[in-house]
Amino acid sequence: MTKKSHDNDVAFIQALAELLQENDLTELEVMREYGENNALNVRVSRAKEVVAQVAAPVAAAPVPAAAPVAAAAAAPAPEAAEDPANHPGAVPSPMVGTAYLQPEPGAPSFVKVGDQVSEGQTVLIIEAMKTMNQIPAPHSGTVKRILVEDGAPVEFGAPLMIVE
Amino acid sequence: MGTGRRVLASVESTNAEAARIAPTLIGPEWILAHEQTAGRGRRGRAWVGPPGNFMATLVMRPTEPPAQVALRSFVASLALFDAFVAATGRAQSFALKWPNDVLMNGGKVAGILLESAGSGGGVSHIAIGIGVNLVAAPPRDQVEPGAVTPVSLMDETGARVTPEEFLCLLAPAYARWEQSFTTYGFAPIREAWLARAARLGETITARAGTTETQGVFETVDEEGNLVLSTPKGRQVIPAADIFF
Repeated sequence: MTKKSHDNDVAFIQALAELLQENDLTELEVMREYGENNALNVRVSRAKEVVAQVAAPVAAAPVPAAAPVAAAAAAPAPEAAEDPANHPGAVPSPMVGTAYLQPEPGAPSFVKVGDQVSEGQTVLIIEAMKTMNQIPAPHSGTVKRILVEDGAPVEFGAPLMIVE
Repeated sequence: MGTGRRVLASVESTNAEAARIAPTLIGPEWILAHEQTAGRGRRGRAWVGPPGNFMATLVMRPTEPPAQVALRSFVASLALFDAFVAATGRAQSFALKWPNDVLMNGGKVAGILLESAGSGGGVSHIAIGIGVNLVAAPPRDQVEPGAVTPVSLMDETGARVTPEEFLCLLAPAYARWEQSFTTYGFAPIREAWLARAARLGETITARAGTTETQGVFETVDEEGNLVLSTPKGRQVIPAADIFF
């Protein structure tokens, strides 16, 4: 191997690493065949903090059996696991509006992370056109994540909370 | 379909009563109360209604998606506008402020509080609470700084209208606009609303959280959003408090 091709390989791997970072990927594998017995096989991977974030609340949950499931799901499709909108426990916003986590300013929040909620219980309010719409929990479970801030604008379909 | 009516001597809030009776409703129903012990406005603000003022809620179970249900803000303000004109014969005294305030001679004569509950599958009910200062308005110093000055129908016109009389004007006015909304959608509501809008074509201020946008009030779009023409271009505003 010549010095030049070595430098090229390093530059190539560096470029791949940057590509990984820029596109927020977990793993990238490239095989380059230059000729007979002359191939470059690179696999760049990194530990994603996002995966750790997803795993953390699961680990804290009272049912630890759920952890390997979440981890398994995260491995083949990190992009999907990262987007809370695709989470089966996601509560989507039924409309464009403003989120309110409390019934009125200064009052306690409807729910907080870790709370047990029953189906139909109000978990937050989305206001649209001055209509205060109470959002019910779609099913009974535990509030795992609250994905919006009080008073924040939300889009149609945006995940508001994770309840599972 | 007929609309039911029930009149209560006293209740904590007609919207709270609406939420209670919603699960057993057969059709839409007006709840009129002569006294509210815990009347409320938007975001927990108190709504004070001395005897003689109008305090009522229309409760129904609509079938449209939540965003469409929320457009009843405009339907309700149109109905209220028409009821005022029927009561006073003075169309020029009234104007609408986005999205659902009815102004009388530039003052706050009424308030509307819409509350619904539901998700992607639709709402379980909507309560359209309407308070009207028929005989008395709260003193100026009891409202938030910058808020529109409270006025009463009696102070502005000298006429005394009872809550029952007012409901007899409001209920059919609402039924007419509701019919238009459910038959033809938001388009005719929007058009009628714009025809009654205050400050259309003038500079207004929209405040949402810490963001303040000043611009020329161009229109209300097909989704009910406020459209301002600003030096930075056309701004479409889904939620804000409006200041003139």
